[in-house]
Amino acid sequence: MVVEPKAPIVEMRQITKTFGSTRALRGVDFTVLPGEIHALLGRNGAGKSTLVSCLSGIVAADSGRVRIGQADIIANGESYAAALRDEIAHVQQTPRLFDLLTVAENLFLENPAVRRRGWVSHRQMIARAAQVLETWGIEISPTALAGQLGAGTRQLLEIIKALNRGVPVMILDEPTAALSNAEKRVLFDHVRALKAQGVSFVYISHHLDEVFEIADTVTILRDGQTVTERAAVSSLDVETIADLMMGQKTQRSVREDFTDASAPPLLEARGLRLGKGTVDFQVRKGEIVALAGPVGSGKEDLAMILAGHKAPLGGRVFSPSGKLPVIGLVPTDRHASGYVGLLGVRENVTLGGLDLLSGGLGFIDRGREAAHVGDLARRTNVIAASLEQPVGQLSGGNQQKVVFARALCRDPQVIVALSPTRGVDVGAKEQLYGLLRDLAAKGMGVVVVSDEEDEISQLANRVVIVFEEEIVGELVGDYSMKDLILRMEGVA
Amino acid sequence: MMVRAERSRWQAFGQGFVAHGFTMYPVLLLLVIVGAVVAPRFLSTINLINILEQVSVLGLTTIGLSFVVLIGRLDLSLEGIVGFAPMLAAVLMASASAGGYGVELPGWAGLLVALGSAGLIGFFNGFMVVRVGLNPFISTLGLLVLLRGSILIISNGRSIYSPGAALTYLGSAKIAGLPVSVLVFLAVAVLVGCIFQYHRYGRALYAIGRNEEAARAAGIDVDRVIWSAFVFAGLLAGLAGVLMTGRLDSAVTTQGEGIIFSAFAAAVIGGVSLGGGKGNIIGVVSGVLLIGVINNLLTLAQVPSFYVQASTGAVIIVAAVLTTLASRRSSGVKTRT
Repeated sequence: MVVEPKAPIVEMRQITKTFGSTRALRGVDFTVLPGEIHALLGRNGAGKSTLVSCLSGIVAADSGRVRIGQADIIANGESYAAALRDEIAHVQQTPRLFDLLTVAENLFLENPAVRRRGWVSHRQMIARAAQVLETWGIEISPTALAGQLGAGTRQLLEIIKALNRGVPVMILDEPTAALSNAEKRVLFDHVRALKAQGVSFVYISHHLDEVFEIADTVTILRDGQTVTERAAVSSLDVETIADLMMGQKTQRSVREDFTDASAPPLLEARGLRLGKGTVDFQVRKGEIVALAGPVGSGKEDLAMILAGHKAPLGGRVFSPSGKLPVIGLVPTDRHASGYVGLLGVRENVTLGGLDLLSGGLGFIDRGREAAHVGDLARRTNVIAASLEQPVGQLSGGNQQKVVFARALCRDPQVIVALSPTRGVDVGAKEQLYGLLRDLAAKGMGVVVVSDEEDEISQLANRVVIVFEEEIVGELVGDYSMKDLILRMEGVA
Repeated sequence: MMVRAERSRWQAFGQGFVAHGFTMYPVLLLLVIVGAVVAPRFLSTINLINILEQVSVLGLTTIGLSFVVLIGRLDLSLEGIVGFAPMLAAVLMASASAGGYGVELPGWAGLLVALGSAGLIGFFNGFMVVRVGLNPFISTLGLLVLLRGSILIISNGRSIYSPGAALTYLGSAKIAGLPVSVLVFLAVAVLVGCIFQYHRYGRALYAIGRNEEAARAAGIDVDRVIWSAFVFAGLLAGLAGVLMTGRLDSAVTTQGEGIIFSAFAAAVIGGVSLGGGKGNIIGVVSGVLLIGVINNLLTLAQVPSFYVQASTGAVIIVAAVLTTLASRRSSGVKTRT
């Protein structure tokens, strides 16, 4: 029997895209076969999101050719999203739901299945939504408002919405970022089921283990160009992929301990009430302490209270030396609260210490500002065209470095960093780890909130497990990865 | 390669030109040239000073407005303040026979009353927005209507003539041939321009307008800045009202009516984004001057007054389109990873 080679469902040829002075894509070819799960890998800023955005038409490519199924487009910078509407669905990194509409309305928005002669049948919509939620094992009411849901559920809804459209090609851009392990399993089951029906997926993820679990084929981008096209996932291993992404060998750094146990704690919290129980906590000089625990455990709240950006229900935060130390904050979501995209690097960093850099009348001392920001940008390794470049134009890693520079602007003694390397590529991650160790070595107290076991074990000298608004355990010194994972999963 | 470098230098120049608020100045220059050709009187010193004097009230109101617009809010009640603050001072200063309450406050105290009440109204606006959490559109709209009514109540519906030299000095006196009101407007423009550009308060305003949460996380006391922006806006509107009363040498019941529309128009023409975080004083001044010059030209050209109003509206739309196109072409670069 002769096996006919399947014709590709997606073909992109010589795609280019330029944003301002940044050449995001430099002639990329990309092919997807029917019923294939194709992982697209690369560091932050390699052009993954731009490539899939050109594929779905969210961003119009400057030149090249995009073909999906019957639709064939010669790109010239004009929008072509409408022509691809029935061919492809794109789930973006952040859910695009209507917060004030119900779950059912969000799921069936613009879906002809619930329409009768142009009118939407509410009863039918709710019934179908309930059915869909049931098959996904999500226990929420179809009439709940989307805005009231947790991050994981919202992400799933966004994915379900796209999967429901019945298109032959789906783009999943970091779909698991906000999902719990159980939710991830459900997602993967559905993806496999659709794949069996011949649906193709383009899959972007920072988690290589997911890629090995679910993908068939891998394409790797670097600096807007393809470095590996259509490699079978079985032919690759983690090391090879990491090297191809980086363009050079990388080694993961290990934690170091600079804790000064003899000095009094820099910051202490006693009898803090986050919810039901109370929390006692302290940060020592030179210590990197991680707050770990499941989503919604209260670890973020504890960190925000320590940083002085949230009031506890009870209890107090103080310093044994009397005066509260200066605390720098790296907030959890840099897009929402980390940086001001339209402002340049200089102005963003200065926001962290406006009082420090201004004179008696409150006017900014431009000379001192330039020197101070330049120094901080060097210490945090920010790479930008100039200190005036808008931060919105930088890559994720450099944006996060700017947020760190802002947190360090007032020479803090304690730094509180929530998800310090979320959505940051491996190279920038290591630089940020190096920075945090460097700060600890200089005697600063570092509090890190993280969901990533690797990150915690590479950084923290002490791990505090937060569960249901209480501290339920602690790992100190020479703990093993296994201990950590078991504790974080709430097993031990 | 040379050509390319040349082009990018031009681009950089264009971007800086728009970003620094100079977009409308070529248009302004063009209008002045047209004006000089059409109406010979236009370029006379008297007329030019006249234009400046006329725009100084609008100018101060627009500068006040830009405080709140920069942080992504708005304040419609400024129009009410322009009328109310000087009227309150006037009724407290004027003798009973002149329509006052017979309190006969001294002049300097009247000035204090005008500015103080303006600041208090701004404080109230800030309170409503920051503490109560009202949408500024609706809370300041309500206050605008309330103030318009209050003007009629406190004045018993009658204008007060010659309320007193201290109150009218700023709006009527001249120094070396230049009206004091123009000097006040220029001084405030320079001062506020410096604050927006070089003061920590200005940095905070822009940061809040562009990303409020990031400003909060950076340790800026966002609520206080928002609140104070309303106070500054109120104060400047009060000052504008005092200038207007001075120029007319009377507190008129209809004083300031419609000025908020011109102020919004001037701000937008000058490149201030109603979404917040964008715009500067150089631009605001250009918007104010543009409106002033157009009004003056239409009057000089003896266009019937009905047409003046309609054509000012049309010009506002055209200018707003120009500004928007210019800023879209020069920036709007958005990258994703």
